[in-house]
Amino acid sequence: MPPERAGGRQPETPQGMGGVPLTRAVGSPRPDSPEGWLAMKILTRTDFHAFVNALIRDSGMEVEGVKAKGLKYAFGPLETAEDLRLDYDVTILPPKKYFLPQYETMMTFDLANPFAARQPDFPARRVLIGVHPYDIAALRQMDSYFLDTEMSAAYLKRRKNTLIVGSDVLSVPERAFFGCMGTGTVPSGFDLFLTDLGEKVAIEIGSEEGARLLRFAAGLREATPVDVQKVKALRASAASKAMRGLKVRPQGWHDLLEKNFDSPVWSEQSARCLGCGTCTLVCPTCFCYDVQDDINLDLRTGERRRTWDGCLLRQFTEVGSGEVFREDITDRYRHRFHRKGRYLPDRLGFVACVGCGRCGMQCIADAADPVLLINRLFDVSPHLVEESVMDPQTVRTDLREIASPEEVRPLHLPSPATVVRVETLTDRERLFEIALDNGRPLGHAPGQFVEVSLFGTGEAPISVASHPGGPTFELVVRRVGDVTTRMHALKAGDKVGIRGPFGRGFDVHALKGRNLLFIGGGLGLAPMRSLINHVLACRDDFGEVSILYGCREPREVLFRDEVAAWAKRPDLQHKKTVDRCPNDVPWDGEVGVITTLIPRIRFDPRGTVAIIVGPPIMYRFVIRDLLKLGMPERNIIVSLERRMKCGVGTCGHCQIHGICVCKEGPVFNYADIKDLPEAFA
Amino acid sequence: MKPRIAFFDFASCEGCQLQVANLEETLLDVLRLVDVVSFREVMKEHADDYDIAVVEGSIARPMDEERIRAIRARAKLLIALGACAHLGGVQRLGNRWTPEQNKKAVYDGADGNDIGDNNPFFEKPRHRALDEVVKVDVVIPGCPVNRDELARVLVALLTGRRPPIPDYPLCVECKKKENVCLFTIGKVCMGPVTRAGCGAACPTYGNECEACRGFISHPHADAQIDVLRKHGLTPEEILSRQTLFTARHLEQQGKVS
Repeated sequence: MPPERAGGRQPETPQGMGGVPLTRAVGSPRPDSPEGWLAMKILTRTDFHAFVNALIRDSGMEVEGVKAKGLKYAFGPLETAEDLRLDYDVTILPPKKYFLPQYETMMTFDLANPFAARQPDFPARRVLIGVHPYDIAALRQMDSYFLDTEMSAAYLKRRKNTLIVGSDVLSVPERAFFGCMGTGTVPSGFDLFLTDLGEKVAIEIGSEEGARLLRFAAGLREATPVDVQKVKALRASAASKAMRGLKVRPQGWHDLLEKNFDSPVWSEQSARCLGCGTCTLVCPTCFCYDVQDDINLDLRTGERRRTWDGCLLRQFTEVGSGEVFREDITDRYRHRFHRKGRYLPDRLGFVACVGCGRCGMQCIADAADPVLLINRLFDVSPHLVEESVMDPQTVRTDLREIASPEEVRPLHLPSPATVVRVETLTDRERLFEIALDNGRPLGHAPGQFVEVSLFGTGEAPISVASHPGGPTFELVVRRVGDVTTRMHALKAGDKVGIRGPFGRGFDVHALKGRNLLFIGGGLGLAPMRSLINHVLACRDDFGEVSILYGCREPREVLFRDEVAAWAKRPDLQHKKTVDRCPNDVPWDGEVGVITTLIPRIRFDPRGTVAIIVGPPIMYRFVIRDLLKLGMPERNIIVSLERRMKCGVGTCGHCQIHGICVCKEGPVFNYADIKDLPEAFA
Repeated sequence: MKPRIAFFDFASCEGCQLQVANLEETLLDVLRLVDVVSFREVMKEHADDYDIAVVEGSIARPMDEERIRAIRARAKLLIALGACAHLGGVQRLGNRWTPEQNKKAVYDGADGNDIGDNNPFFEKPRHRALDEVVKVDVVIPGCPVNRDELARVLVALLTGRRPPIPDYPLCVECKKKENVCLFTIGKVCMGPVTRAGCGAACPTYGNECEACRGFISHPHADAQIDVLRKHGLTPEEILSRQTLFTARHLEQQGKVS
């Protein structure tokens, strides 16, 4: 488990094993109902159809239900009760599309005044009819994911606007295994719950709002104990059919996956994988998303859109410079299963799988089915599995108790800021001094980053290069992609949007009194400078200071004046190097890779903290040399680059195993992440 | 000043230019952004003074080669429009045989008098994509191109952004549309290896994707071949699916001549 749970809140509700709350969210059991069941009513089939038609006609709500789509099924607008197919097996897409739509306009803007960006209106009240229990369980997981990590106003509005009418599974989908995941039934999470008994339909009431829906129904009668027995028998039969011989219970997945991280099973299975992203797109518990800007043909207005993304897609981890952090399909394939069975359980307390079988059914290469994968892992390593290595599954409390959408700060809304000064550092890098328009300081710690937002182009994560304090802050921007290219065209007085600061920076307090060895490569000097300048400003608070800096060629040296000043200071050691130096270029430093500088300074490896920031390749060699000199692992501090898109731990792009670099990083203690194969791959 | 834009065509059906002409109400918006100085399909006027050249068609004959070089020399920006300009088009299939064999296949026996000897299209019919002859700045893939994508690319270019051509498979768009996967109803489809951006137009109407937009930059071609084989396709059928529009990719891998 990570040191603290995301959001810091502890789960309050004891849960069943598949993410199913055991306590009721709304209402209380009727004292006279058998075994404490919620109120159950009965409608004849004819009256039920009249009820649904009355909802469509008179309720003023959008009524969406399960309908046939070719030979498959999908949720869609209901025009008549005749179209509702309660006998469906599984829908192509889960109902997550109503809460986190495939394409969602987050804001519309006018480039002349982009900070007046508007969030679009949300649909009127809506009712979803026919949601299966496993999908209700998935919605509860989604609540926990979006509400426990970072409030999402749009999500919350949609969730609160939507009534859920559940229904029992009558035809078990071919690849479903919800019986093993404990999601074949749910005791709450719905407003009404239907069981189609042929001639009649049983209706369980899950909430007061659900009860109020029934005013559109005529001919309601109370369920008899016989009706209740029929419902229970039907449920038991569906759940028992959806078992599929899963060999490891969900509680054991964590251990199985962790111990098999390096198993050859991953490359064996991923060889079939098309990398098409289907398994993540159709999954009710995959929530990763991308954000893109579009400009309309008038070249004046535009919108920022959120759209589904998936970790199986190659460009999911690609950063502006073109680096792809999970280039190999095997790594991406493995990441998907680990996120479901390990990373999200660590973070939120539940296995992010409800056993709907959509991935297995829709993967044309048959590489995505969790039952086949888990059983395969078990077959190659049965001795690894221990029972109950995880806490019982937990999903957070009921959504309706959460703050109203109006109180929630909208995600992704940048604050207006103004470029105060632009300085050209090199051919590729420029420095931007920026002030927030609200007059407040950024309030960052050294090593933190911001998302710079240029409406119509997008956002890019940029480390803060200046030390804390002061009314402005500085960013060093290398021109690599659309956002950074457009940034390079900015002048003093131009507006940018700023979100942040984000992430965990350097722990300045813990560094006080310590000897410090800074090792910076290339653009890595920018985030490191936020700490260096703080240390130099409060020089007496720290022990010996050494700064090693390397880049490819002399013309790439950042902050020339400051670097030159280091060389003249008597209270620090400084060496610099370039990988190569053209003959005609003056250069007063060394030539060679940065590791060649380490033996050239005096420092006590055991009594010094090293702070390393540079390109991915640099870490391995620098850390290897420092460890060889006897530096303790815990004395090595690094800052890692990944694709930080949302900044708040929900979009999924920057993850290293279960760690969200945007939240738990980008600054890490080497000892904490050294065993994560993806960290320094 | 508005950028001046000119349209040209080489070996092609001109269907992509027709898509531009069919932009309908959007066309008026586009015309506010650019000055069209040459567009044979919709106007009589022609000028050789342009900033952006939009070129449809594949390059086959020496005379085509000369002409595209001249266009390239005049244009600040060259856009390859559609599958013929992007990949060489379906006509690239003819590259597998010699010009003589192709001529024989087309003319022999069909018309006793005309054996195609005077037909310049058989002069040196090795169909190539534009970027195999000149530098291409932007590719708008598809057979035909997607009108909305064309407009998006134009907006991106005019606002200094990279053209938003996706590099993920068609399945992504198809799933987001909640289409019934064609593989589940007994059809086969090139979607898993094909570049998205068309909105999964063909599968949405029940038609198999034929990869007219070319492959994504890192297609899992072997896994796709496995799937096609499991769905009953013979090696010949698989090759034919792979080469209809995308022979260029296979040529690059040395898998077909």
